[in-house]
Amino acid sequence: MISAAGLVDVELANPIDAFAGASGEASAREFGTLGYSIRARKPVD
Amino acid sequence: MADILNVVDIDELRHQVRQKYRDVAADPSGTQHVHHFHTGRTHAVRLGYPSHPLSELPDEACEAFAGMGNPFFWGGPKPGERVVDLGSGGGMDSLLAALWVGSEGRVIGVDMTPEMLERSRSIAAKMGLKNVEFREGLIEDLPVEDGWADVVISNGVINLCPDKIGVYRQIFRVLKPGGRMTVADICLERPVPEEALRDIDLWTG
Repeated sequence: MISAAGLVDVELANPIDAFAGASGEASAREFGTLGYSIRARKPVD
Repeated sequence: MADILNVVDIDELRHQVRQKYRDVAADPSGTQHVHHFHTGRTHAVRLGYPSHPLSELPDEACEAFAGMGNPFFWGGPKPGERVVDLGSGGGMDSLLAALWVGSEGRVIGVDMTPEMLERSRSIAAKMGLKNVEFREGLIEDLPVEDGWADVVISNGVINLCPDKIGVYRQIFRVLKPGGRMTVADICLERPVPEEALRDIDLWTG
């Protein structure tokens, strides 16, 4: 999806259980929800 | 999986998201309104935010933070850079970016919830930051000119938009050639059934 928008060098890192201990934790676990850091760049040309 | 844009009532979703974040702006710690996610400075530290310049922010600037990861995992913006913050919410990430870019840089936070914008503007004014502004708008239709930004940041917001590729096209549009996106958001490891997609409580929860 990110690449389809024209961005390149897409990278996902740093998965974290952002909902751990929150009241939404059960819903998050049901769908395997994790927070990620995501980067990409717009090509020069 | 069904086409998400044909399943979700986008106007109703935006209404519900505004209401949820209106509640967060008014009651960040969830004393009166239950938030299904963590908020505040401790949450930011747990997500891996760098202690500096986070320590430079007053507590008020961190209270309504409700991110899902660390958009600064690869480092913060550099002095003099221009930054756009998609879904700036309580303003914490925009304010951090303003400290990083310094007086020669600029930061634009965009959010659709008036109460969050009011909160962010008030805190920026109290901090005396003149290099950050907060604009009302949708991240699917950013009120930012083409090719303005060196960096686009966001945290926990793109997942709330059904038209995600539309958001990424907007990011592409506002970035300078060679500019970068460093965002944080949730990803799901399992497919979401159509009935769950229609459940707006799950989106805002």
